[in-house]
Amino acid sequence: MEPSRGLSAPPGRALGAPIAGLALLAAGVVALPQLTRDSYYLDVATTILMNLALTMSLRLQVSTGQLNMAHISFMGIGAYASALLVTRVGISFWAALPIAAVVAALLAFPIGGLALRVTGPYYFLITFAFSEVVRLFFNNFFVDLFGGPSGLVGIPKPSALPWFGRALTFTTKLELYTLMAALLLVTAAVLVRLEHSRFGLVASAIRQGDLLAETLGVNVFRYKLTAYVVGSLVAGVAGAFFAHSHQVLHSSDFGLEPMVLLVVFTVIGGTGSVWGPVAGTVLMTIAGELLRELHHYESLVFGVVLILTMLWAPDGLVALPGKLARRRRVGVSLAP
Amino acid sequence: MPLELRSVGRRFGGLQAVADLSMTVAPSTIHGLIGPNGAGKSTVFNLITGVIPLTSGAVFFKGERISGLRPAEICRLGIARTFQATTLFREYTVLQNVLVAAHLLSAPGLGSALLWSSRYRERERRARERGLALLQTLHLAGLADQVAGTLPHRDQKALALAMVLATGAELVILDEPMAGLAAQEKAETTSVLQRLREQGLTVLLVEHDMKAVMGVCDTVTVLDHGLRIAEGTPREIQANPAVIEAYLGVEEPGA
Repeated sequence: MEPSRGLSAPPGRALGAPIAGLALLAAGVVALPQLTRDSYYLDVATTILMNLALTMSLRLQVSTGQLNMAHISFMGIGAYASALLVTRVGISFWAALPIAAVVAALLAFPIGGLALRVTGPYYFLITFAFSEVVRLFFNNFFVDLFGGPSGLVGIPKPSALPWFGRALTFTTKLELYTLMAALLLVTAAVLVRLEHSRFGLVASAIRQGDLLAETLGVNVFRYKLTAYVVGSLVAGVAGAFFAHSHQVLHSSDFGLEPMVLLVVFTVIGGTGSVWGPVAGTVLMTIAGELLRELHHYESLVFGVVLILTMLWAPDGLVALPGKLARRRRVGVSLAP
Repeated sequence: MPLELRSVGRRFGGLQAVADLSMTVAPSTIHGLIGPNGAGKSTVFNLITGVIPLTSGAVFFKGERISGLRPAEICRLGIARTFQATTLFREYTVLQNVLVAAHLLSAPGLGSALLWSSRYRERERRARERGLALLQTLHLAGLADQVAGTLPHRDQKALALAMVLATGAELVILDEPMAGLAAQEKAETTSVLQRLREQGLTVLLVEHDMKAVMGVCDTVTVLDHGLRIAEGTPREIQANPAVIEAYLGVEEPGA
């Protein structure tokens, strides 16, 4: 049995871990509503799931070596697109959701294509500048369409779906949680699958040495752009969900502050593994809720945690257990 | 001729790093490029592989002009290289390094990776087998699951060579393949290079170890201050006064 398992596994990576990880994530997502139906907890959990879609897709982009500060803008594009498709064009949420995701992905082609021509701090700045352009566009232009500074209101909740003669509704907190859970599990399965394919192998190789990858024949630009577009597609899905669960959109929902939070979640969890953002998002959101009493000192605490992580665990929380184990092993082998 | 440089030049500001260099590398030979420090050897490699653009002249590979192409496109046409400071994907295992390098020969698309079809799995399985077979020939098979960054220097050098071969290149360009190796390891590398030549590959290398260069190369080109000062068989080069002068300096008359 042993050799055949080894041969069918993806190149150089065990298949057991990703399936176990997905199963654990699914178990957690299914278990939560069994433990509590409290609307506050369901709200927090739904936000975590939505943020997971955003941080996991952000990490796909970071895995090729660059931090995209405009990720939140593609969530915004998906959100406004879906909201307007439903309220102005009159199509159902279920048609608007995939269209909104595709709109975000299509816009990612020219924007990513432009930004990815530069690297390092220039890339950071160009994507940040783009995110501000998008935010100001939603805030200041076509006010009767996007709602301007007072926001876009009156977005309906997702419409009911026929299900074996019954109607599945999406109005209660629990139903919205279930919808986001389903969206996230599909997203996570796709992203984990990608990570453990040759695509993921080559993408992370680019982060470790882009010139080496290029001279080995890797079209580095194409890999980066693919990660950018796939990540933006996921952000578009999260945006569409956000629009119809919050029912109100403000341009500041897609500004610097929520973007920085996504970066904090992702970096603290660790960008070296597909599970890093999961750990970071879950732990930091819970920490944020516990620190709610502190009001705006909350971001101060986040900042300190980020600095400490960068100093002591630059590879993130998920890399810590392995590191500690290695240190212990070395300690043992050094002992007389 | 697989590789032909026609009047290739590269200027960095006021410095002419490579000047009007013409040379051809014959198929299935081992061709050495030597010269004192700063002669422009590594620059020549960077110009051939498209890592830096040339400022004059042109490079042809199998009759096709490759100067102006991106490094990845040049690799696709059959030229792969190592770097002087050995570069690897340090976080990856030995086998993963080779699989990244082999992606040109068996690059699965995004869609088939997601669907995880039986054809995709079959392709992955074969890529893995090919990678292991390649590691076997370079005595690295036992290290397949070791993390590359933790390998000793000589194994890192061997892995860098394995990655170049994994691309399926016909012309391999090696920047100091012997540097830092013990005598025994140099002999092993020499026999690997000779085996590659027998298999029909062409090797172009820069090396400071003169004994190794003269022992393994069919043809040697000597650069000094960006200019080609000599070319010939190792025997001819060793007897060439211009080469001796470049390496040892001119003897003062009457000294």
